[in-house]
Amino acid sequence: MFEPKIIAFLCTWCSYTGADLAGTSRKSSPWNIRAIRTPCSGRVSPEIIIKAFDEGADGVIVLGCHIGECHYDSGNHRTAKRIPVLKSLMELVGLEPERIRLDWVSASEGDKFSKVVTEFNETIQALGPAKWLTKGVGVDVPVLDETKVLQREG
Amino acid sequence: MQTKLLQEHAQMLLDTAQVECVIGYSLSPRGLTRPMFIYRGEDVEQLVWNQHSSHNLAKYLREKIVDLGDTGKVAVVLKPCDTKSLNVLVAEHKIDRLRVHVIGMACSGVVKDNNQERLQDRCVECEMKQPLVYDYLIAAEHTPEVSPGEFDQDSWQTEFEDYSSEQKAEFWLAHFDRCLRCYACRQVCPVCDCPTCLFERDDSLWVGPGSSIQEKRMFHLGRAYHLAGRCTGCNECERVCPVNIPISKINQKLAQVIEGEFGFRAGIEAVPSPLLTVVSGKEYGG
Repeated sequence: MFEPKIIAFLCTWCSYTGADLAGTSRKSSPWNIRAIRTPCSGRVSPEIIIKAFDEGADGVIVLGCHIGECHYDSGNHRTAKRIPVLKSLMELVGLEPERIRLDWVSASEGDKFSKVVTEFNETIQALGPAKWLTKGVGVDVPVLDETKVLQREG
Repeated sequence: MQTKLLQEHAQMLLDTAQVECVIGYSLSPRGLTRPMFIYRGEDVEQLVWNQHSSHNLAKYLREKIVDLGDTGKVAVVLKPCDTKSLNVLVAEHKIDRLRVHVIGMACSGVVKDNNQERLQDRCVECEMKQPLVYDYLIAAEHTPEVSPGEFDQDSWQTEFEDYSSEQKAEFWLAHFDRCLRCYACRQVCPVCDCPTCLFERDDSLWVGPGSSIQEKRMFHLGRAYHLAGRCTGCNECERVCPVNIPISKINQKLAQVIEGEFGFRAGIEAVPSPLLTVVSGKEYGG
């Protein structure tokens, strides 16, 4: 069975506590989840997510507070808009958009935390290892447009 | 004809001290154009307007206004597409619209640097012949001496859609591998104007100034992402790229996504990008 590396960015005000609750109430969640505590889901900038994939992650899940419950008023609003755009960008440059997931888990939703990460783990297991660091699959890549270079020098 | 009108208007602006500086185009030694800053009425003969006027001069506004201090106006020559960049900058409070005198040029397209018979790709399907905002409009259209032609589509553009994600990753890695990190794309971009670029700081934790292929890919993806909802598609980044990376392909894709998700097109009006505002109505991601 393929055991993916999954990075979970958890908002300290809700999902991190939700994950704690899942643990204390003996809900099982897959061990492939590496939890990283962030001050807000809005703090998880696209660079951080791309970096996670650069470092060999197979999936990244971002969990934040429900809309309207952000500790900082509008942090999760930004996340709600940014993650779908990031998914489209990553799809264009060769990463399955299913490898990034955004969901809302409040501090009292231990059940939901367990359910969401289990689901996500199964999705990634079905997708297999990420090909983000791939090399040499033999795409015919166009070479430098020499006319452009010559013109620039002339 | 437009050059003549432009010179007369610039002369009037400088002579009556309505503006301190006129940002326009002048002829370059290679017969193309280059950006030009005019401070004195007697220098206006250097201003030109022709089919090579490709630069997006909105780029220079912010710094020029800062240079002038608390008062003083700057006049700038803007093509219709460049006025979209101006709208973005005004919406983000990067520049004070009251300190800019926009000389809007009616435009029927600019040609490629390396093939003066062909319009640039962005101009082929451009519907925008008149500026969106202007304080003075120079409407006389120069007759297009070039045939618009078709897109110079490289074969990969049609094949790309069928690639698997692994092939797409490989494709972009091969392109980004050529990147020199010369930052020409960033320097020429009118909306890429952070005082200190995230990708050039040596204390950034997630990105670096290095030249490994991962860091180069991160630079391009990060930059494209920062432009989402702000890029107006002037394609200057791709034009100046010394190694011909198809940067605009990414920017166009993100512009489509923003339009699909939020119904927003950058620069049509002076309103900020939806990525900077709170969710409302049916806008909801997840």
